[in-house]
Amino acid sequence: MKNFLGGAIAVLSAVAAFQLLGQAQQPTSPATGKDPALTPAQSTAPAGGSANADTKKGKGRGRGPARPQGPTPRLPDGHVDLSGVWNGGGPIGDVAQGLMQGETIEMTAEGKKIFESRESKDDPEANCLPTGIPRIAPYPWRIVQQANTHVFFLYEGNIHSFRQIFLNQSKHPDDPDPTWYGHSIGKWEGDTLVVDTIGFNDKFWFDFRGHPHSEQLHTIERYTRADLGTLENETTVIDPVMYAKPFKIKFTATLRPNEELMEYICQENQQDAQHLRGKAGLP
Amino acid sequence: MKITLAFLGLLAPVVPALAHHSFAAEYDSNKPVTISGTVSKVEWTNPHARFYIDVKDAGGKVTTWNFELASPNVLTRNGWRRNSLKEGDQVTVSGSMAKDGANLANARTVTLADGKKVFAGSANEGQ
Repeated sequence: MKNFLGGAIAVLSAVAAFQLLGQAQQPTSPATGKDPALTPAQSTAPAGGSANADTKKGKGRGRGPARPQGPTPRLPDGHVDLSGVWNGGGPIGDVAQGLMQGETIEMTAEGKKIFESRESKDDPEANCLPTGIPRIAPYPWRIVQQANTHVFFLYEGNIHSFRQIFLNQSKHPDDPDPTWYGHSIGKWEGDTLVVDTIGFNDKFWFDFRGHPHSEQLHTIERYTRADLGTLENETTVIDPVMYAKPFKIKFTATLRPNEELMEYICQENQQDAQHLRGKAGLP
Repeated sequence: MKITLAFLGLLAPVVPALAHHSFAAEYDSNKPVTISGTVSKVEWTNPHARFYIDVKDAGGKVTTWNFELASPNVLTRNGWRRNSLKEGDQVTVSGSMAKDGANLANARTVTLADGKKVFAGSANEGQ
């Protein structure tokens, strides 16, 4: 029954290896029939969640639908309207791919020890647990703004969950319970929504490579909708336990017009984690 | 039933899309597998749609192969439906084998008996 064809096991070519390292494909196009211009062949595009090189306006490395063009939308009260379905906007494979110019990641001894010991089977995302912050899953997500009180991030995938940002709170609780998304307060600085978050647990990873953090993690995200189809996210990562100094990363999300979120219950049939082998690394 | 485990040199490695897990940690793109058989079950579930093929060897022993597809969300957005592949369909499927030796593979191409390909454009996306 089994025919073993001889031959050497192929070695990844340099090109393929490069593709693996740098790939930032995203899940889908909105090929739901709502947008006949999009076909399955056009359905993969940079996630905008991996490398800044993938976030140029209107480009998808030739594979994805063009980034929608148009002016930055605004609410009747004058604030920028961030709402919409987005793709990307955070690290997927390696948080270092988003480092801003002149920024470096310098892990403490403890951070390095954890980073180097991590195995792919333990990645929380592979085990259907939340991404935390700043990691993003390769699935669409939606921003919902509720007047001047809340901003909600609704995540389709991995996991089907939500994050809430309080515009109506000026400070964090004194001793918040550690959670996957922490406690986020937001305020407008001009046209930029600045989100300050503490109160994280230490269970999620920043990326497939397993960059670590502690419960001391503090993130400051700055969301700017540069135009209709572009949402820039500059995040300052502060964690003195794992990193010798703060670092700044920037990722850009792409609007997915006509897209709707779908149900995605990762826990229903998760069979992957038990088959994962080797150290944590790029996908 | 026919199963071919092909270890060919100079094959272009499969470059999968991103998933909720590391593709490279689960599958070996340098270990392609091709199986022809009858689909015994389809699971249209997250995080991955899956289908199973029972393969009987010369001694009559049946081995079930588990093929991973993209998520139903990805497949649906690419125009496929939960009944695009059905129990009882005769298929030839090619993919990458699991690293741990399990009878598990990531399906790259799925071809029905009439030559029609299903899940094209998304079958190798591990999402």
